[in-house]
Amino acid sequence: MSAKTSVKTITEPARQIKVCREADVVVVGGGPGGIGSAIAAARSGAKTVLIERYGHLGGMASGGLVNIIPNLSDISGKQRIYGLTLELLNRLDKRGGASYPEKKDRGTADRKVVDYYLDANLGWFYVRQDYNTGKERVLYSAVVDPEILKDELNNMVLEAGVDLLLHSWGTRPIMEGNTAGGVFFESKSGRQALLGKVIIDATGDGDIFVGAGAEYDNECDNKRRTAWLALVFWMANVNIRKLDKFKAEQPEKFKELMQELAKLDGYPYFFKGILKNQENVIWYHCMQPQPQRTDAMDVEQLTKIDIRARKRALITYEFMKKHVPGFEKCFIMLTAPQLGTQGGRRITGEYTISEKDFETDEVFEDTIAVLANNDYHEISAKHPTLCIPYRCLVPKSVDGLLVAGRAFSSADTINESFNIIPHCIAYGQAAGTAAAMAAKAGIQPRKVDYKALQENLLKQGVGLPGVK
Amino acid sequence: MKTIKESARETKVCREADVVVVGGGPGGIGAAVSAARNGADTVLIERYGHLGGMGTGGLVTIIPLLTDIFGKQQIVGITQEWIDRLDAREAVDYPKKEHWGSLDKELVRYYFERSFFYTRLDRVIYAAIIDAEISKVILNDMVEEAGVKTYLHSWGTEPIMGGSECKGVIFESKSGRQAVLGKVVIDATGDGDLLPYAGIEFKDNIPPNFRIANLALCFWVDGVDIEKADDFRKNNPEKFGELARKCVEVGGFPGYFRSLLKNQESIVWCHNRYPNKSQIDVEELTRVEFEGRKKMMITYDFWKKNLPGFEKSFIVLSCPQLGTRSSRRMIGEYKLTQKDLADNQPFEDTIAIFPDLDRGQESLDHPLMYIPYRSLLPKNVDNLLVACRAFSSDEHVQEWFNLIPHCIAFGEAAGAASALALQAGVSPKKVDIKALQKQLAKQGVPLPDVTKKVDYKYDGPPLVSTSMFSLD
Repeated sequence: MSAKTSVKTITEPARQIKVCREADVVVVGGGPGGIGSAIAAARSGAKTVLIERYGHLGGMASGGLVNIIPNLSDISGKQRIYGLTLELLNRLDKRGGASYPEKKDRGTADRKVVDYYLDANLGWFYVRQDYNTGKERVLYSAVVDPEILKDELNNMVLEAGVDLLLHSWGTRPIMEGNTAGGVFFESKSGRQALLGKVIIDATGDGDIFVGAGAEYDNECDNKRRTAWLALVFWMANVNIRKLDKFKAEQPEKFKELMQELAKLDGYPYFFKGILKNQENVIWYHCMQPQPQRTDAMDVEQLTKIDIRARKRALITYEFMKKHVPGFEKCFIMLTAPQLGTQGGRRITGEYTISEKDFETDEVFEDTIAVLANNDYHEISAKHPTLCIPYRCLVPKSVDGLLVAGRAFSSADTINESFNIIPHCIAYGQAAGTAAAMAAKAGIQPRKVDYKALQENLLKQGVGLPGVK
Repeated sequence: MKTIKESARETKVCREADVVVVGGGPGGIGAAVSAARNGADTVLIERYGHLGGMGTGGLVTIIPLLTDIFGKQQIVGITQEWIDRLDAREAVDYPKKEHWGSLDKELVRYYFERSFFYTRLDRVIYAAIIDAEISKVILNDMVEEAGVKTYLHSWGTEPIMGGSECKGVIFESKSGRQAVLGKVVIDATGDGDLLPYAGIEFKDNIPPNFRIANLALCFWVDGVDIEKADDFRKNNPEKFGELARKCVEVGGFPGYFRSLLKNQESIVWCHNRYPNKSQIDVEELTRVEFEGRKKMMITYDFWKKNLPGFEKSFIVLSCPQLGTRSSRRMIGEYKLTQKDLADNQPFEDTIAIFPDLDRGQESLDHPLMYIPYRSLLPKNVDNLLVACRAFSSDEHVQEWFNLIPHCIAFGEAAGAASALALQAGVSPKKVDIKALQKQLAKQGVPLPDVTKKVDYKYDGPPLVSTSMFSLD
């Protein structure tokens, strides 16, 4: 007995919708891309409105419990973090809300130090193999406290003078021909409109550019990380020492138990908590495959995946509690308030960055970010950084619109490793700055002067090494 | 007021159902499970990725006020089923059954110290403290087993109207704007979000000194050495009082509850109140969300620095859903008002009985609140029911009877009524009340003998507790 699917449509009549703000720049989505955009646009003098679906900012980094800002250095340990990400991290650090490998350890291949970081916690994010030497080295990556992050992001957008609406779901662009001029959004105040000279789609999934009729791509090899969803959860009251002792003394038994758990549809992999005072916390970054490539944008599949992931969390909890030493008194502390999506639609922009750009080491004339390239083995060894051109944020076929976040114009091969939190903040910072410039000059975002944009970004502390 | 024209369009219908329930909080769960179990093809639409509303996402993990002053459990049904399922997983805490209604001073003291929710009017009462995360899974199981088609991450925004008849709902999601058609629509949004669009009259006035006038941003702190904290409190009451005052002075909240759940000895909960102009104004919601987070950090920093036992604490989480307490109240076929708070005669169409426990002597004189089916029915619109705190009530009734078990009860009745109406081929307004009551009784819902003239006078011991309790 289940309600019938339907192929019908209903007609919604035309109607007048209340305009609640008129701004220079409207940013849809308060995740890393949206935060970068809104802060940069407001600081550049644009009247900026930011709307966010949930009651907090930070997207995956806070609500998704993916509270990791990785790849802040290249494999040699050289810092590759700039602009707003650096500012955010410094602010979090001051409040005890960030944890990362010490400066002196970054880049080291000293086995003892590497093992320390591997074991400590989210080791995987702290260590990468250096292809040239075959040795593992310590990276600069940071783990942040999601609750402190939420508060600090609020502070940053408010200080910048951003006009923020939380609990507001931006659903559809307001179009005039090929040009976006606002968005409709839903909230407890009903359906309302925001008008803006430039709209920034920072929804992660490109929810706005779809309605604008922009071309996009969502092909993705199913083996890629970005083809998966995740429901992160944390378990508390775990006796880590006891667990470590058990693992050291009976590695075979531990392995066997984890295999059994996997057979029961539980999650056998977990990380130790790393933040101060969270020694008894275990994190599960539990990946869920998407049966179909488009599932992250399909509400039926999202629902199924969410329900199944919760079941698996409970299976894991009950199994660990019953069988694994150290977990006797554990409990599920929380599941992520936002389902973890890792990749969705990707805009077809003026330039689509692809794996061939690794080979050329091209410093584009419109480079707006220089990112550490740590995840492509041999390629990374030869090409430790990747430049991202502004054109990746500019839709080919729609005006008045920029894309900030993981939906930037990219092949799935590039998107997989360059759509993470610090990257999205960087895209946002560039998009916000460009949007403010376009609004001020009364021109389309695609006409923004690249040199002037780069100069503004440099002034904001965005490092663009190699860019002339 | 500037407006912009949104042009006409064709919206895709994704499902056709018998009953469409909007909102997966306590009201929506009761409604969806009850409708589906009674044979209706049922669709449930929920804004967040989990069910349970305030009970889970709001971190209001308390199902209170289940027994009356005589110790009789009055709210059973789906509420009790939820608790039973939690019990099977050791994920709930409540006073022992043999103690419900007890006036024994030692017992009352014991339970009062254990939780503020475990005693009322000098008596031990039945109230349950629940595990939020396990509840989310259990509620998924319950709707799934009942055969409900659920849409999570889906924001039901507007009813589809044909004249004065409701014919479905429009919702937004990552799949874009879609419609679900339904023969009956149940508004379980908490705020009555469908009411203004359906042209249903409502009120939203709330006196500022009422509990329900406040929003909440609940949060949990872990890593607390609770024994140390308790010892300090017990042995240095004056010092503790002074710290509490200081905490308020710097803008924090001094009070916290202990988690009573198994293995959660190191967790405390902070429930709080934020005055506001309206709980359905997005600007106000945003403002309070900011203020709440700031105050949360002030509170946490203060506790950590000053309260023994909190040295190694950390904030586990702030509630994923802002805690709303009341907004729109439909004006229905029967509006429960202050005068019903003193009337002991059950309605002919009673669909639920709520223990009345929070109003001191007035509660002793009026221990049971009867809820008529008509308070779920809008006056001027057909095929739409309200099953949440937007039920037809004045602010006085709303203040005391809009909590989790109450909303589940509204839902359970609305869901069953919808299914029965569809089976009989009548409008929900014309449902056979006797048949509905019979069905609810079958589902374990206690109902009164409506034919009997009630002649009640309180003849128990006089009330000792002087302080009036407020709910949270």
